[in-house]
Amino acid sequence: MNRSLALPALLPLAFLLLMVAAPLARLLQEGHAGFSLALLQDSYIQWRLLWSAGQALATCALALLIGLPLAWVLARFDFAGRRLLLRMLMLPFVMPTLVAGMGVLALFGPHGVAGVNLQDTPWLLLYGNLFYNLPLLVRAGVDGLEQVPASRLAVARTLGASPWRTFWRVEWPVVRPWLASALCLIFLYCFAGFGLALLLGGQRYATVEVEIYTLVAYELNLADAGVLALLALGVGAAVALAYAALERGITRPQRLAPTLRTPAQGWPQRLLLAAALAVLALCCLLPLLAIVWRALQADAAVWAMLAEPEVLAALGNTLRFASAALLLSLLLGLCHGWAAQRWLALRALVFLPFMVSPVCLAFGLLLLYPQYSASVGLLIAAYALLAYPFVAKGVLSAAAALPPQLPQAARTLGATPWRSFCRVSLPLMRPALRRGLAFAAATAVGEFAVSLFLSRPEWATLTTLIYQHLGRPGAANLQLALLLSCLLMLFALLAFVVIEWPEKNHARAD
Amino acid sequence: MLELIDLSLSYAGRALLQGVSLQVAAGETLALLGPSGEGKSSLLSLVAGLQRPDAGRVQLAGQDITRLPPEQRHIAMMFQDHALFPHLDAAANVAFGLVERGTGKLAARQQAVQMLAAVGLAGREAAAVHTLSGGERQRVALARALVCQPRLLLLDEPFSSLDTHLKQQLLADVRRHLTALQVPALLVTHDRHEAFALAQRVAILQAGRIVQHGTPQAILQAPASAWVARFVGLDNVFDDHAIPPQAFVLGAGQPRRDIIAVEAQADGWRVTVAGDGGQAWQLLLGVRELAGQGAPCVGQQLAIGLDRRQVLYW
Repeated sequence: MNRSLALPALLPLAFLLLMVAAPLARLLQEGHAGFSLALLQDSYIQWRLLWSAGQALATCALALLIGLPLAWVLARFDFAGRRLLLRMLMLPFVMPTLVAGMGVLALFGPHGVAGVNLQDTPWLLLYGNLFYNLPLLVRAGVDGLEQVPASRLAVARTLGASPWRTFWRVEWPVVRPWLASALCLIFLYCFAGFGLALLLGGQRYATVEVEIYTLVAYELNLADAGVLALLALGVGAAVALAYAALERGITRPQRLAPTLRTPAQGWPQRLLLAAALAVLALCCLLPLLAIVWRALQADAAVWAMLAEPEVLAALGNTLRFASAALLLSLLLGLCHGWAAQRWLALRALVFLPFMVSPVCLAFGLLLLYPQYSASVGLLIAAYALLAYPFVAKGVLSAAAALPPQLPQAARTLGATPWRSFCRVSLPLMRPALRRGLAFAAATAVGEFAVSLFLSRPEWATLTTLIYQHLGRPGAANLQLALLLSCLLMLFALLAFVVIEWPEKNHARAD
Repeated sequence: MLELIDLSLSYAGRALLQGVSLQVAAGETLALLGPSGEGKSSLLSLVAGLQRPDAGRVQLAGQDITRLPPEQRHIAMMFQDHALFPHLDAAANVAFGLVERGTGKLAARQQAVQMLAAVGLAGREAAAVHTLSGGERQRVALARALVCQPRLLLLDEPFSSLDTHLKQQLLADVRRHLTALQVPALLVTHDRHEAFALAQRVAILQAGRIVQHGTPQAILQAPASAWVARFVGLDNVFDDHAIPPQAFVLGAGQPRRDIIAVEAQADGWRVTVAGDGGQAWQLLLGVRELAGQGAPCVGQQLAIGLDRRQVLYW
């Protein structure tokens, strides 16, 4: 058994070594060589670093302040569509950063739907950050609160605690580790985020990642970029370690005791529920609606531009790169997830590509493999690197949920290990595999940071094309960018539907 | 014929099996009886080839199969939770092994449907596994194991999840099928009723060792130790002897003894009386034995004698 698991482990290990470890090592070397304190004393760089950390912390604070009450309402009140809403919270997660960024611009940018221009203020980026990260905190909060059985709350009340005291003495201690680990992730995403900061930060409120990109792509100042990447990676690694430590402390029981959930009764409770749903829509739905609204108002001439060769080529590139990356992800994810059943270290490695900033990674790849910087193979490998952990995670959790007796029964009925995998394990893992692949597809289609670094002009994908048009003057370019964002959003929605489509519970005659 | 020779297995530093030797003759059903969590299921895993022993050999029909992978052994196994494949319907579950052994899909399905009919599930071939009742799952698992005509059938507490009435009926069915097909079987269970109902011979496993084996009658008539005597269900077990129920003689002329405790049962009373030499004797008394006396109660006396020839010593 051990021998049969060692072989599939080799492929992802080699891949991670070549695509993560080696580029990052090369990057560290570059940053170390050019390291000078003078750069850090530069007030411009100091501001970039401070703002990067500051905006991440501010997002964490906002998410906690807004998200915790939301989570409590969603966990304790029962209402029609509650389960659907909880599932819909995953929707921003599959949205490409460019779509989110365009949505925020369509709402609060120049000539935005809201009528308020927040460009060149910090609020634009913070709002974009909330779009992605508020659902993360709400999900963690709901999951945490559902660990508290109804009987425990009832006991606290009979012992004389008010609802408020019950929250602080009974619910808060349980939900705290869940929130803490979610906050770590939020900090990490905001700190290492690139696309939103590039679109929404403007001159003053861009982050370190944007600075690295500017230094590499426009100023060809690799030394300073290396130093900044070193710092960014250091901060990211520290937070990732904290996240891993916190995550270990969370126990997830298989079966939950019944939890307290009642329909909202009376006007105060109904008002609370309505307010919570309104806030959620404001943060997570409004930007998407704004894109659609603005796109529908586009001129006929702009609609016609959709058929231009430039757009069709970008669409073709997106689909080609994404399907190639998806195939590679399927192979890597299956091997990694299956082998990680036995090897705990491999399990942690599944999350490695999630934790590393795409900008640093792309920069490291450029430094390490300059001869391949314009090769489609490297681009697709980078796509697959960002996409395959979703497949691996799905395979890993499905394999863990697979009762060991089933493959054993297949073996006693005459199936070899390989046949048993194909006829029993694989079919039972299919739903998880489908979900993982849909996540991977959404990632590949919406990929922006790596595409910007490694792409050549003739390989423009939908995301890079949107960015190009956003940078060009004129209303037509902006409208085309919005239309293309709409298209990208449709792809993401499609992936989301595939992810959430209920599994048909029927048996096959084989 | 299956031969287990000196099998040993330890798990996480704990010895589960220590030098177990057993034989199952052609057409015979042997029950391995022992308390839960004492390595019975591990023994079946060794025989099926799902695990390798630390020491010892497994021989089937004279061939050493200790290192043979499970799929080449032609030994079928019924799992405790039946382990039906949830993504396949009833007939596809039964046909699984046939397909693995090279039967074409259509022919395999035909055979599976026939086998399902033989175990009393005619017309249920397209049923999804999750729609089957506990008894039906049991029958599908039996059909799946038997349809390949295995050289040996292993049964891992297959009745433990069923209620008593259903269990009786299925025990009888399994016994009938095993006899008809002349398949030797090795059953592990912690339930002595199951073991005695199904098996021609019983081996008793205590702490990884076989402490006694023989026919159910032989074991009941001469338990090898106090532990075995208690385990096979005797109530009055003392240091070096046990008093079986048939050793007690009721009725006039017998010494009168004080009733110490009475416990009502579904079909009578469990009465504890002060026996000889300070012993407390427990008797299960039905309404028939107590004809005309009414319910016994503490403080009354009962006339009970002892037939010393029936007492079991070891």
